[in-house]
Amino acid sequence: MQSSDSSAVLVTGVGITSAIGHGAADFTAALLEGESNFAVMKRPGRQCSTGDEPPTTQFIGAEIPSFSPPDGLPASILRTASLSGQVALATLHEAWHDAKLADVDPVRIGLVVGGSNVQQRELTRAHESYRERPQFLRPTYGLSFMDSDISGMCSEVFGIRGFAYTLGGASASGQLAAIQAVQAVASGQVDVCIAVGALMDLSHWECQGLRSLGAMGSDEFADQPQLACRPFDRRTDGFIFGESCGAVVVERAGATTRAGVKPYARVAGWGVRMDANRNPNPSFDGEVGVIRQALQKAGFDAQSIDYVNPHGTGSRLGDATELKTIEEVGLKHAYINTTKSLIGHGLSAAGASELVATLLQMRAGKLHPCGNLDQPIDEACNWVRDRCVDHDIQRAVKISLGFSGINCAMCLERS
Amino acid sequence: MNKEDIFAIVTRHTQEVIPALRGHQFQPTQSLRELGANSIDRSEIVMMTLESLALRIPLVETVKATNIGELVNVLHAKL
Repeated sequence: MQSSDSSAVLVTGVGITSAIGHGAADFTAALLEGESNFAVMKRPGRQCSTGDEPPTTQFIGAEIPSFSPPDGLPASILRTASLSGQVALATLHEAWHDAKLADVDPVRIGLVVGGSNVQQRELTRAHESYRERPQFLRPTYGLSFMDSDISGMCSEVFGIRGFAYTLGGASASGQLAAIQAVQAVASGQVDVCIAVGALMDLSHWECQGLRSLGAMGSDEFADQPQLACRPFDRRTDGFIFGESCGAVVVERAGATTRAGVKPYARVAGWGVRMDANRNPNPSFDGEVGVIRQALQKAGFDAQSIDYVNPHGTGSRLGDATELKTIEEVGLKHAYINTTKSLIGHGLSAAGASELVATLLQMRAGKLHPCGNLDQPIDEACNWVRDRCVDHDIQRAVKISLGFSGINCAMCLERS
Repeated sequence: MNKEDIFAIVTRHTQEVIPALRGHQFQPTQSLRELGANSIDRSEIVMMTLESLALRIPLVETVKATNIGELVNVLHAKL
């Protein structure tokens, strides 16, 4: 691994599991083709049956169509791992091998799993299954109901001995985890740190709550699921959920020596800013502030940024606020697309999965198209519309936002 | 249900919890601990067996058993 700056923080490995592809190669190919996989969600525990026939409450989303953990993961652990846990293990497995971490001192490796309350569907199913016979509830429920079970499993399977914990920041969790990982290696706490944005496994209860809150769509496209996810489009009516999990490995340049590791990018700057607001509404001031904070830390002029990966959920107010922010901070010239339009909103995973999407586009020299961006709410932005564009990203900004007034931004530079 | 049936249920669940034991020739004199089951695994195996038997007894009543045969005897006596 080569870098002229020994204090530089580099991304040296990625892992991704999503509804349009597992692993970097398949995911990149699907992104660049503009593939998506939205439908009425079928996973057990995501439909609410009222007992009436036929009424059930159904929700649109993008579910991982087929998932099988890679060979080599212990079957005894996988048996009691939740879907979120299994997908985290598989995604971390990819990132771990991508960054060739096998020979790194395990005490010098850290792990931050982004996301809280991520296993709700599995908990709902357990409650429904054992409601009438609670004394037979499996003892492992006492372990697995805590999200920290995911970081615990990952640390056991991969032998991580630096630190491992979960970190919650609503839909910014994935990027918050990445920022925490960057800070851990920048400070010297560990040499290598892995950030995982955990798969948020919604049950019908969370889906209903998010619909009732007005955050999750789609009333307008209930009969056309493939059209429902449309961030920044005039006809959007809320976010559409999508299962995903992203992992990135970050390290200080030169902290360890491993042959054959090629950095994806340098993490040049980052920022976290709160709105002092418990609610889900966005804040123009908060978003402007956090992007300026990240640019300043990177020492970048906004004009030098050539790609923005926005939060872009499909919330009407959220989308409009974000585009206004992008204009205000001087990023309107930069290419912009929306990864959520293809993979859906991963909630806790989103910031990490979209960071991986940004890094893979950087490596591919191409920008992926957007889904359903028929009438952008601001035509003057530099959209990648319905087909991919050849472009070698030099400097990128990734934005992640979350309920409770959380704003995050990260600046990446080609290394 | 006889003891052989209960033994089969216990060993089936043991193999579910510890997949490496698939194909193992279980003996009543073997303990779950020596077969590689940690305390969580043992609780899981016993609870799965109680559920299969629809046997509503406290888990603590099974802890005196030192091997699979004794566990089967305890469960059989409670049926």
